[in-house]
Amino acid sequence: MSFFSRFMDGWRKYRKPGYYEEFDYHWTMAIDLDKCTGCEACMTACQAENNIPVVGEEEVARGREMQWIRVERYWEGEYPNAKLNFIPMMCQHCDAAPCETVCPVAATYHNQDGLNAQIYNRCIGTRACAVYCPYEVRYFNYYDHGWDSPLEQQLNPDVTVRGKGVMEKCTFCIQRIRQAKDMAKDDDRRRVQDGEVQPACVQTCPTKALVFGNRKDRESEVYQSMTDPRNYRVLDELNTDSSVFYLKKVDA
Amino acid sequence: MTTETFKLGYNDIHDDVVRSIVKTGPKYYIALATAGSITLLCFFFPWFYQLYYGIGAAGMNHPGVWGTYLASFIFWIGLSHSGTLLSCVLHLTNSSWRKAMYRSAEAMTLFSLVVAATYVMVHVGRPWFVHWAAPYPNQMELWPNFRSPLMFDVMAIATYITGSTIFIYMGSIPDFAAVRDRTSGWRNTMYTLLSLGWRGTDKEWHRLHWAYTFLAVLIIPLAVSVHSIVSWDFAMSIVPSLHQTIFAPYFVVGAIYSGTAGIVTVMFVLRKTMGFEQYITKVHFDNLGKLLLVLSLIWTYINGVELFTAWYSGTSEEYEALGYKLFGYYAWLYWEMILFCAVAPLLMFSTRFRTSFVPMLILSIAINIGMFTERFLIIATSLSRQYLPDAWGVYVPSLVEISIMVGSFALFTTLFLVFVKIFPSVSMYEVKETMATPKMEPLAPASGSPA
Amino acid sequence: MTSNVIGLFHDPESALTAAGELKGAGFESLEIMSPVPIHGVEAVLGKKKSVIKNFTFMGALIGGISGFALAAGTAIAWPHPVGGRPIITMPPFLIITYELTILFGILATVLGFIVSSRLPAFRNRVYVPESAVDKFVVTAPCDDAEHFKRAEAILNQAGAEQVRAMSGEES
Repeated sequence: MSFFSRFMDGWRKYRKPGYYEEFDYHWTMAIDLDKCTGCEACMTACQAENNIPVVGEEEVARGREMQWIRVERYWEGEYPNAKLNFIPMMCQHCDAAPCETVCPVAATYHNQDGLNAQIYNRCIGTRACAVYCPYEVRYFNYYDHGWDSPLEQQLNPDVTVRGKGVMEKCTFCIQRIRQAKDMAKDDDRRRVQDGEVQPACVQTCPTKALVFGNRKDRESEVYQSMTDPRNYRVLDELNTDSSVFYLKKVDA
Repeated sequence: MTTETFKLGYNDIHDDVVRSIVKTGPKYYIALATAGSITLLCFFFPWFYQLYYGIGAAGMNHPGVWGTYLASFIFWIGLSHSGTLLSCVLHLTNSSWRKAMYRSAEAMTLFSLVVAATYVMVHVGRPWFVHWAAPYPNQMELWPNFRSPLMFDVMAIATYITGSTIFIYMGSIPDFAAVRDRTSGWRNTMYTLLSLGWRGTDKEWHRLHWAYTFLAVLIIPLAVSVHSIVSWDFAMSIVPSLHQTIFAPYFVVGAIYSGTAGIVTVMFVLRKTMGFEQYITKVHFDNLGKLLLVLSLIWTYINGVELFTAWYSGTSEEYEALGYKLFGYYAWLYWEMILFCAVAPLLMFSTRFRTSFVPMLILSIAINIGMFTERFLIIATSLSRQYLPDAWGVYVPSLVEISIMVGSFALFTTLFLVFVKIFPSVSMYEVKETMATPKMEPLAPASGSPA
Repeated sequence: MTSNVIGLFHDPESALTAAGELKGAGFESLEIMSPVPIHGVEAVLGKKKSVIKNFTFMGALIGGISGFALAAGTAIAWPHPVGGRPIITMPPFLIITYELTILFGILATVLGFIVSSRLPAFRNRVYVPESAVDKFVVTAPCDDAEHFKRAEAILNQAGAEQVRAMSGEES
């Protein structure tokens, strides 16, 4: 190939928005809000799975809660006709994520599975990503909270423990995804099947409101959910191209 | 220029400035010691406390992840726009009223930038890794993310600090040479090295003039770009009240505004403490006052535009953000800012006000308080009200933050006090240019003075 | 060992007149030292070429190229997909290019100044401290005593306050 055609190939590759020709897997979550009861079991499961520090009453009162998934509650009407709507909100893993562009040290990026990955070691704590995220799902470690003995025995060994000054957020339980991909590779180099990998929140949800999978697999449950006529994405008008679809029957 | 300066000769300005460097009385040492100890107590000790325990020592929370640290950072960068930018623009327009004050104004620029750079390290969560934002080859083979507005910031501020240092140094070479001849001992050695053996030949003046002019031509677009880039830290987000194209001009105008107010303050202090009453006169305050007035009118206009576009857009998040800014938790700060930065400067329409020293001092301090509030409000009110109502919150600064804020002013003062004893704080050769030697007319055209 | 004749003047005009007459009388390597830059020197001593602008231009050019090369080269060296943007994006990279253009332009100007003004120069050179305060000084090297007398006469006629001799290495 001549120098010019190689140059043009490189130019095309590096000028393509998003860089990836196609994702390896395209992990997506679908949340059926008509099934969600607001029990917050997903929050507890996430905290257990991902070694999320318990910040304590005082810090939560100061507004420094630490949770990777939160259940937003919106009231409608007055008692006795009050209606409550729940929206579990976690990192939406946007394909056009505003948070990724602003990190000066490249501590967050979009990986080949369509996930927004956070590299704790590289984070210097500028907190610009938290400002740029419109969903406000990024949480900062204001202190080194630690665990009193013997609570550190319950930590998940597959997940790191973050120190102070580092930003963290939902990773779609990337350690489980990694494990599933490794097992699939060992097991005759097949692909990860639908339902093989479930993040902690999906696994725990009592009403099966959360569904997780690879949207490239057209047979998967998540693909059926995301093409359901009830589907919408939060703050879609901002063109963040998020990977979490919410299903809700909206009365016209 | 007023007729007073024609009674002074070259000798007088020379003696006055050299004396201001070489003679130090007890008052200077007391001032230096006070500024130094306040810096240590109020800036460095709380910072070390925060380094040890974590950013939690500050008042920031979720969603208010940015607070007074970033507001102060932007305030100090804004303050830095006065000196060098003003000096460069007025040099290219051949204004004579710049000559007595530009050296100190440029020093103000340099030290504001130094304080702002220190503030970056106070602000980030892991300052011991902040060098990762610099593009240097390393074992990890990692480079910083140049697509980030914060990286533009890094490059712009690095360039600006380098440019400002070089600019103030180049302009001072002839003055260093002049002071060198009058000093002895360690001072003589220092000034000999600093003046590079300058003799004042026609060839050297010619080269210096061209180098200085080219530097001025380069630094003006640089200064405009620096604060635009700082504004893009905010404007490139999609937070409702931050994502506006007006931010770049808003910040540049605000920076020159607060910087010029800072110059007025510094000039007042210099006059009183260094005995420069004859060189920094009513004329300077008058001209600075006019500049401040114009800038305050532009600033008020831009604020009005922001309010108007937010209201006109009709979107729910803009309405919410606007209402919160005007009537929410921080509303008292908003109206204080309007009072100090939009209403009070209208007093400068009166010439009598502009040429009175103490009222101008009070107004300049009020303007800077208002501008600091503006920076704080930009951050606090916009982060408090973003898109998702569940994530709304309020941010209150903690004692550590307020102490570091006070300490940063003390740090600036300490650096400036050291400066006045090393650099000639009034540019001798430029002021001489505006004076008459007994036999002839003044060299610089008198058109630079207020017509 | 050349000696130099030094004339101290009270104001720039007489200094310029004296310099003009010295030049007319055939003296070379004249220098006028002054506390402030004088207007009208070029008419008397000849126009000077400034090479500083070449330095600035080359510096800015190199800066522009290296700015883009730094941003694009490091982006290609480790492709780091962020925000759905391409690896080589124009708006951010042009800003980096702009900043580095100005930085290298500034540094090149300083280099140009240092090179063309032949500073730093700490050797013994012809210098009188009064030229930094309030006197305008004309100096010229003289080959012998007779030369010196002629120069002295010209300077005195032009209105010098003081005429001195100084021996020193000329640059």
